Parts: sequence; C-alpha cells; structure tokens
Amino acid sequence: MSANVEVKVSTKRIKSFAKHILKYWQLYLMLVIPIAYYVVFRYLPMFGNMIAFRKYYAGGSIFGDRFVGLRYFKQFISDRSFWRAFKNTLVLNIGYLIVRFPLTLIFALLINEIRNLHWKKFVQTVSYLPHFISVVIMCGMIKELVSTSGPINQAIVHFGGDKISFISEASWFPTIFISSGVWQSVGWGTILYLAAMSNINPSLYEAAAVDGAGHFMRVWHVTIPSILPTITTLLILDIGGLVGSGAAFEKVYLLYNPMIYETADIISTYVFRMGISGKNFSYATAIGLFEGIINLILLSIANLASRKLTDSSLW
Amino acid sequence: MKKLKIACLLLTASMLGTGLAACTKEDGGVETSATTIPPTIATVATEDEEDLDYVYGEHFYSEVPVTYSMFFSDASWYAMKDTWLTEGVFKDIEDITNVHLDIISYDSNDYMNNITLDINAGNAAYIIPKIYDDSQFVDGGAIVPISQYVQYMPNFVDFYNTYNMQEDLLTITRNDGNYYKLPGMYDATMPDYSLLVRKDLFEAAGVDIEAIEKDYTWEDLCDALVKVKAYMVSQKMCSESDYIWSDLWCGNESGQGNGGNLLKLIGNTYDVNAGWAIGDGMRYSQENDAFYFSPVTENYKEFLKVAHKFVEAGILDPETFTQDDSTATNKFFNGQTAIISVNKSQYANFVSNLEENLGKGNFDVYYAVAPRGLNNYSPAGAGRLENGVMISQNALEELGEDEFIKMLRFVDWLFYSEEAYTLTKWGVEGKTYKVNDDGTKSLLPGYCCSGLGYASTSDSDIDIRLEWGYAGGNFWYGHTMALASDHFIPPVAAFVEHVSEYRDIVPLSPGLAPNEDQSEEMNLIATPLIDNVNTWTLSFVTGKEDIDAKWDEYVASCEDLNCQGLVDLYAEVYGK
Amino acid sequence: MATNTKKVPLKVKENTGYRIFLVINFLIMLFVVLVTLYPFVYLVSQSFTSEKAIIRGEAGIIPKGFNIDTYKYVLRGEFLHYYRNTIVYTLIGTILSLVFSSLLAYPMAKSELKFNRVLTPFIIFTMYFGGTLISNYILIVNGLKLKNTVAAFILPMMISTYYVILMKSFFQSIPKDLEEAGEIDGLSKFGVFIRICLPLSKPILATMTLFYSVMYWNNWYQAFLYLNKKQWPVAYYLQTIIRGVGAKEGDGDATSVSANIKSCAMVLTVLPIICVYPIIQKYYVQGMMLGGVKE
Repeated sequence: MSANVEVKVSTKRIKSFAKHILKYWQLYLMLVIPIAYYVVFRYLPMFGNMIAFRKYYAGGSIFGDRFVGLRYFKQFISDRSFWRAFKNTLVLNIGYLIVRFPLTLIFALLINEIRNLHWKKFVQTVSYLPHFISVVIMCGMIKELVSTSGPINQAIVHFGGDKISFISEASWFPTIFISSGVWQSVGWGTILYLAAMSNINPSLYEAAAVDGAGHFMRVWHVTIPSILPTITTLLILDIGGLVGSGAAFEKVYLLYNPMIYETADIISTYVFRMGISGKNFSYATAIGLFEGIINLILLSIANLASRKLTDSSLW
Repeated sequence: MKKLKIACLLLTASMLGTGLAACTKEDGGVETSATTIPPTIATVATEDEEDLDYVYGEHFYSEVPVTYSMFFSDASWYAMKDTWLTEGVFKDIEDITNVHLDIISYDSNDYMNNITLDINAGNAAYIIPKIYDDSQFVDGGAIVPISQYVQYMPNFVDFYNTYNMQEDLLTITRNDGNYYKLPGMYDATMPDYSLLVRKDLFEAAGVDIEAIEKDYTWEDLCDALVKVKAYMVSQKMCSESDYIWSDLWCGNESGQGNGGNLLKLIGNTYDVNAGWAIGDGMRYSQENDAFYFSPVTENYKEFLKVAHKFVEAGILDPETFTQDDSTATNKFFNGQTAIISVNKSQYANFVSNLEENLGKGNFDVYYAVAPRGLNNYSPAGAGRLENGVMISQNALEELGEDEFIKMLRFVDWLFYSEEAYTLTKWGVEGKTYKVNDDGTKSLLPGYCCSGLGYASTSDSDIDIRLEWGYAGGNFWYGHTMALASDHFIPPVAAFVEHVSEYRDIVPLSPGLAPNEDQSEEMNLIATPLIDNVNTWTLSFVTGKEDIDAKWDEYVASCEDLNCQGLVDLYAEVYGK
Repeated sequence: MATNTKKVPLKVKENTGYRIFLVINFLIMLFVVLVTLYPFVYLVSQSFTSEKAIIRGEAGIIPKGFNIDTYKYVLRGEFLHYYRNTIVYTLIGTILSLVFSSLLAYPMAKSELKFNRVLTPFIIFTMYFGGTLISNYILIVNGLKLKNTVAAFILPMMISTYYVILMKSFFQSIPKDLEEAGEIDGLSKFGVFIRICLPLSKPILATMTLFYSVMYWNNWYQAFLYLNKKQWPVAYYLQTIIRGVGAKEGDGDATSVSANIKSCAMVLTVLPIICVYPIIQKYYVQGMMLGGVKE
C-alpha cells in the first residue's frame, strides 16, 4: 500500500515537473549557453585546481597526470617566500581596508551635505572617473608622478628635502599601494552609501529635529544607523577578501620590482612568478588553492558573525 | 636536374661522428659520455635529391614551392610591418629559395614565454629562431635533437670543421649526447656590452682612458671617475651631490630586477654570476670539475664591494637599478653624466643624440674596454656561440624525413650561408647597399639603418630595417668575424679589437640536461633563492645594507633557501 | 533613485557652526576634485611637451615647447593598429556579454522557476571560490587550445557574476503585471523577455554596456597571457611601452619610449571613457543601487 502511495506521489511529481518544464521551457532554453559557460569557464578551472595534488606536465591533462598528495603543500608551507607574500597580502589588504573604508563613508557623508546640486553632481562625476581608468594607465601615472624627476619629488626638492626613490624603497610601497587604491575607489564606493542615504525617510530627520537634535547629531543618530546594513554588507565582503590577492595582482605586478619584494610581493604575484614564469604549475596552484580556501573560510566567519550581531548577511 | 651526392664532400670526414650519432639515436635516454659529438663532421646526402640542388657555397632553391612555419621574435622598436612580407626580407627569401615562411610573431618581451607554451602544447612552428637557453626543451621530446642531422647541413659543417667548434658545441651538448639547438657561431669571441665614456671630460680631469683601459681595474675606474667628478664640479657642470653615472639596462625596464648589464659586466670579472647573467647562480669550477653556487662565495662579496664603491663615492646613481632606461640616457645626452653602458648597436645612436643635445664638437666619447677584476676575462663572456635555432619535432613528423632534410638544407642556407647572411643583414645589392672597391659594404645614399649604425642624415632616408626587416635580430647570429664586423664603424671596430687584444677568453663550462623532475626541483629552489639574492645584492650595492655587517645574514638566508640543495642537484645531474 | 538625494532636509535653522562646516566641506571637495584630476592634467601636459624638454627633464603642469608632433607621430604608428583591435574586441565582447548575461539573469529573476533553487547558489558560489590563476591558464592554453585566438581574450571574462546579479535585481523590479499582460496578449515567455522586459530595461542595459565595455577596453591581462603581438589590444600595448622595452642581452639595440609618447598614448586611450561615462551616470548609479543594497 505504502508502495502504491509512493508511486502515486512520484508520478504526480513527474507530472508536475513535466508541466513545469513545458510551461517554462523557453526560460530553461535561455539558460543553456550561460550554464555551459559556467561549467567550462568557472567550474572546470575549479576542478583544475586538482593539479595541486596531481603533478601537471606541460601539455598533459589539465587535471594533472600523477597523484602526489600533499607534496606541494608541504613544500610551500616551508617556503619563506610564500609566507612573506602571505604577510604582505594581509598587511596591504588590512591597511587598505582600514584607510579606505572610513574614508569612503566620510566622503559619502560629506557629499550628502553638499547643497548646490550642480556642484554635487560635478564632484560625484569627477570622483567616479578613476574607477573607469585601466590599471595600466593608473600605474603609468603613478610611475610618472613618483619618479625621481616627477612632480612629487620636484615639490620635495622645492621645499628643501632630498629626493626619494619611492618605487625602489620597500617602506614606501604600502603607502603607494594604499593611496592609489584610495584615489581609485573611494569616489566609486560612495555610490551605495549615497543610495542608501537617499532612501532614508525624511520624517526621521524631522522627528530628530523636533527632539532638538542639531545637524551633526542627526547625522549620527539617523543617517548612520539607517545605512548600517549597507555598511555591514560591504564590510563582510571586504573581510572575505582579506587574504585575497587576485584583485591586487595587476597593480602590484605593474608596480613592483625585486628591491621591494619585501613589502610588495603578494600571493598572486608570487603564484605568477612561480607558476607561469617559473613553470611550476602544480606548486603555484597549491598556493592559489590555499589562498582561495582561506578566503572562503574568512568570508563565512564574517558572514556568520554579521548574521548573529546585526541580522544582515550575504546568505 | 643534376643528381648530386654530397657524401664525403669534405675530406676531413670522420666515420666516428656518424657512427656515434646513430648509436645515440637508439638509446636516446641513456647517459653517454660527453664526447659524443665529433671533432669534425662529414656531410651526407640523401638518396632522392631529384629536385634539390644544394651544395656548400651555393644557394638553396626548392623546385616546388614549399611553406615552413617559423616563430618570430618581433621587437617593439622595429616592429614587423606588412612591407616586410610583400617587398622586404621575407619576399627576398621566397624569391631566392621558393620557400614561403609562415610567420608566427610574438613580441620580443614575451617571446620565450609564448613559444614555450606553444611548444609544450604541441603547437610549435617548424623553425624556432632566437633561442638562448634550450635546456628546458630537451626533455619534452618536442624538439629535434639536431646534432643527429647536421651532416645534412653543409654550411654548418664547413664552419664547424674549419673553426674547430667541437669544444664550443660541447657546452650545449646534453647528457644524452645530443645538442638541440643550432647555435650562431663565431670564429672568435665577439664582445658587445661595455662602457662609453666622455673622453673630453676624462682628459680635462687628467685621465687618459685609452692609456689605462688595457689593464685598469674597477677600483681604478672609480678613482678616475672621482677625478672627473671633481673637475665637473669645479666647472659647475654638476654639484657635489649629483651623480655622474646613471646607467641604463639595469633598472625596472630591462634590468630584470637583478641589476642588469652593469652587474653582469662587473660580476663576470669576479668569477660570479650576477646581473643579467645571474641565472640560477650556479657556476662551473674547472679546478674542482663541479658546479657551485656563486652568490655566496668570497668573490661575490668582493664583487659587491667594488660595485658599491661607485655608489659610495658619489659616482653611480643608485637610481640606476630602478629607473627607466630613458632617464639614464637623457642624463647622458644632456651632459649631466660622464659615463654610461653601451653596446655596438647603440653606439651610433648615443653619439647622434649627444650631437643633437650638446652640439657637434662640444664633446668627445670613447668606447672603452670594461675594467678587469680578479680575472682578466673578456666581457664577451664564454665561448664563441650565439643564440640559435631549434627545429621542432612537428617538422619531422609532418614533413617526413626526406622533406625534413630538405627543410634543414634551407635552414642551413638561411642561417649559415654567406649569401643569406648578407641578404638578411644588408638587403639586396644594388637596391639597398653596394660593395666598395676595397670589398667593404656600405648602404646606398637615401638609406639608413639604425641597427647597423647608419644614422639617418635626412628625414627622407629610408631605414632598411624599419621598412623591410633587414638587419633584424632573428637572422644573422654569428659568422666569421670578417663578415660579422663588415658594418662596424671605426670606433666600434677598434673596441672589438681592443677587447680581443687586452682580455682573455672565459673558459667554457659543460652543458647539463636535468630531467623533468630534476628541473622542477631546481626551479622550485632557484626561483625564491634568486629573488632573495637579487634583493640583497641590490641593497648591498646601493648601500641600503652594509656589506660587512650583513654578509653573514645574507649567506644564512641563502642557506635557508636551500642553496646547498641546488648544488647537490647539479652534482647529481652532472654525475660527478 | 539617485536623484532623490535632494530630499535631505533643508529647512533646518542654520547656525554658524554649520555654515563654517559648509565652507570647509566645499574646500575638501575642491581638494578632492583637484587631486583626482591632477594626474590627468599632468598627462595631457606631458603629451604636448616637446621631446627636447622631456630630455632636459622639464615637465610640469604647463607644457614646455608646446607642440602636437607627438600626436602626429603616435597616430601614424602601430598605435592605431592596436587601437583598432581594442575597438573590435570591445564591440564583440560587449555584445556577447550583454546577450549571455541577460539570458542568464532573466530566468534567475523569475522566482517561479524551480530550478533557481539550484541555479542561484551554483552561479553565486563562483564569486567566492574558483579556479586559480594557474588552472584558468591551463584550461585556456592546454584544455581549450585557445591561445592566440581572440576567444581567449573575450571568453574568460564574458559573463561577470556580479553584473548578472545586478541585472537580475533590475529584472525583479519590473512590475509583474506588465509581463502578465504581455502573456495574455499571446506573447511567449521569450517574447515577453524581448518585447516587454528588455524595452523597460534600458537603464540596466546602458549600465551593463558601460561596465562591460570598460572592462574589455581596459583589459591587458588576458592579452598578456594569451595573445600574440598582432592581436594585442591597446591596453597591453600601453603596458609594454610603460614597462619599457625590457631589453635583454640579445636586444641590445632596443630604444625606450620617451615620456611624451607614453603620455600621448595614455591620453588617447582614456579619452573615449572620459567622454562616455558621465553621459550615462544617471543609469549606472541607479543600476549599482539596485544590485548592491538588495541581493
């Protein structure tokens, strides 16, 4: 009897499933190529990470040819250059986050206070510009600006200082990295905050004004709490990327040189040098995989913490 | 068609040669003693050469049109244009030989990277020119062990035999007894990179560079430059805080992060690998018949000290190791600096820039032999070999052996015959150049060539390299000194002569061929290790770290990164 | 809506402290604007400076020896070839990206589609984890054998998950009844998408066009890994001249590119972007809002 019920249920399921497909087959058809794309270009490389455990021979299978277990992991765990890159990645990312995150918020609050709408639009437009500039051009500009004959050094000499060779001083690299990052992303970062602020109900401000709150108090008590979910979401994403170095790869690759590896070499540039330049594909993949997994863990922790503490989370 | 058999054309034939070649063919992987390549080679003909009329000294012509694919290293400063194919060097080659070259070009910067990938993925072109280091290809089976086929290449064989190239070729012969690259060959060593000094300033400061260059040391040069600087300061040409040497080929553009050309030049005279020549740091000691890691030796310390001395004395700008090349040349062209690195092809360019900026007659320069260090080695480096050509296994498989040998004859013509050498270098006689009564060559009026040192005299001059691809770096690697120097202007010719007169030839070191696992292991050790060496080296040279105080820490850091492991691996591969 | 920011209350009593703040705020904004624009102005100035002045090291905010020879020189040379490549790649790439991103985003936006329970995590997961630099590279070069093809430049970045999510959020904001009305009128699901949804989606399509085309326009990295010289886009060409010729031992006759030429090439490359992005600012601000806050 129970078997009969099960059959009934499953035929019912199949029927409703068939109906569903029949009704939405066009939508499913639309998905075919994009899903195939994700399988090939996103998931295959993910499985291609297997070569961290299987030795890859140039020209051989993209999943590696011979199982070697944790050999490459053991190797890089004892590789000092890897740990240097790991440290640099953390330092640069945390430094960048600490500087950029509050600056973006402050900048958004300040823009929100501009009262001349034309001026406001102009400031916004200009501040978005660096976001659209290619990393190549940005690094080209950085090199021109900080070169020993560039304007920054000219200014230093003008005020009686000694020229600084910014590009070859390891101690300067974090500054260059962070400030150029701020230049490029702070303006763009304000978009989401401004959007959130524009959604704040004006009556909240009015109520606060009635309570006698001054202008700045209203910012503190109304604006900030209202955009807190946005802040949290962005912060989770940023924390999830703290060990990530993929996004910084292009900039660091274009700016660094061996004299400043001490502070500039990050995981992705090291992976590149070991992997693509050095042809140690499996070894470099092991490092890349390690990085990816740590990121995933960090992101999950941040997400969990945020869900517990503030109720907003990515998933 | 004449049916020609070229067998035993050369009377110095040695049966030993072909015999061993056949033997190694059978047991390719087995390690054989390094004497597998013969002192002389006999040329051999194939059975069916119905349509192939090719002898030493004559040109190659294919009765039926054929197409061979070829990689091409395209230099950005004379990028390939379509006119090269329609009316330039490739058209000429096709006209003469009936061979169409199917060119796959990569920028010279990424050339090695790209062709390595193509070769590994089985997509190699038949002809692979411009190869400096072929060791990474030996194990993969994608490259033909060309030493087994050179008997079909009469021009190569003639040069090999005439100038006794056996010793030199042993340096690129691998453990399996084969070499995989057809190298450019010179009959003597050819120096290139050295120093260009402002002779007028040197003289005014009381230094006669021509008199001292014979056996001066780097310390002597430093002392001389201190005098020059004192003079320049006294003449208000620069201030006490300025440097009078800002060098190119060392910085972020072309220094490759290892200190580039200058450290290579100095290192060479201290028996250490440095700068461009750092490689993996391993050097061969003839005394011990073994390889050792040179960056941790006492010689290396000496080398660092002497290099640092220039910075310490306020002569060499430490920016040298990070700046753009144009920063260095601009300072030299302005007269702000008194010395700079130069090579044969840049000499004319530097002089014409000086003329433009300082005015003709306001300066005098001299192409000096680089100083000596602990040894008296020529800056030309070791041996008489240049970069060379590899042939891919694809060619053998796709063409079949007969057609393959025909292609080799074409390759022989293109890279080793005098006719092709002159064509790819000078263009067509009567069109771009003429042969003078005394046998020298010169470009016809209306043509110039920065690559050959013929600066343009008017805007309407056509640069034969830019326009048609002559004098490009993919051909004419080596040849007799007489041919190789047929475009030298007197100061360059004088420099070459001085080097061979004053300096000794660097001894040769044996070739190695690690297998795939060994080279992976070497690579894994060497990549971070050499990064570390480079970082420390530049810090020492520029004075960021004190050599005496930090030397032990530096050596310890190298040992930490397992430089001994590298030495052990070499010993294992070398088998001694 | 972005333009709604004007709703901030204005009828507050303005005390002196607030007035001073406004002045300071203005000065800060002025500073930000100047700092943002300075590098561009510097580039433009350098591109008009004469080569001699560059050799003498005289470059500043006002060009010395003003001339347009550099532009003439650059526009005569290979630069144009690479520029043309970039235009072609950007066009092809952007069209492909738009088509396939919307094909993916539209069904994802339909809550009634059961498969979405699987699909959405399947897609989103790739934002947080994926192939490494190396495995992507090996896939393209050895797996798909796409080296030296334009496909290797376009395909790896053709669909951006982040942008798909932005589009999905926009599609979700389209009122359901409009689409239902379309179905009643006899349109198929696909017809609804083409005839009703897309015409209403101009803001997001404009935004995506900008984002994707900027992405292709600026990309040098894929070219660096996969393309041969003839196929280079201008961004990679720029990268090579900025990095310098990188003379090696065998390339001793290399000459480096002077600063005015570099600057000129950079100016010409950013120019189209600078001209275009302000025009559709309204749209992308809106588009970013939709995806960013909800999700």
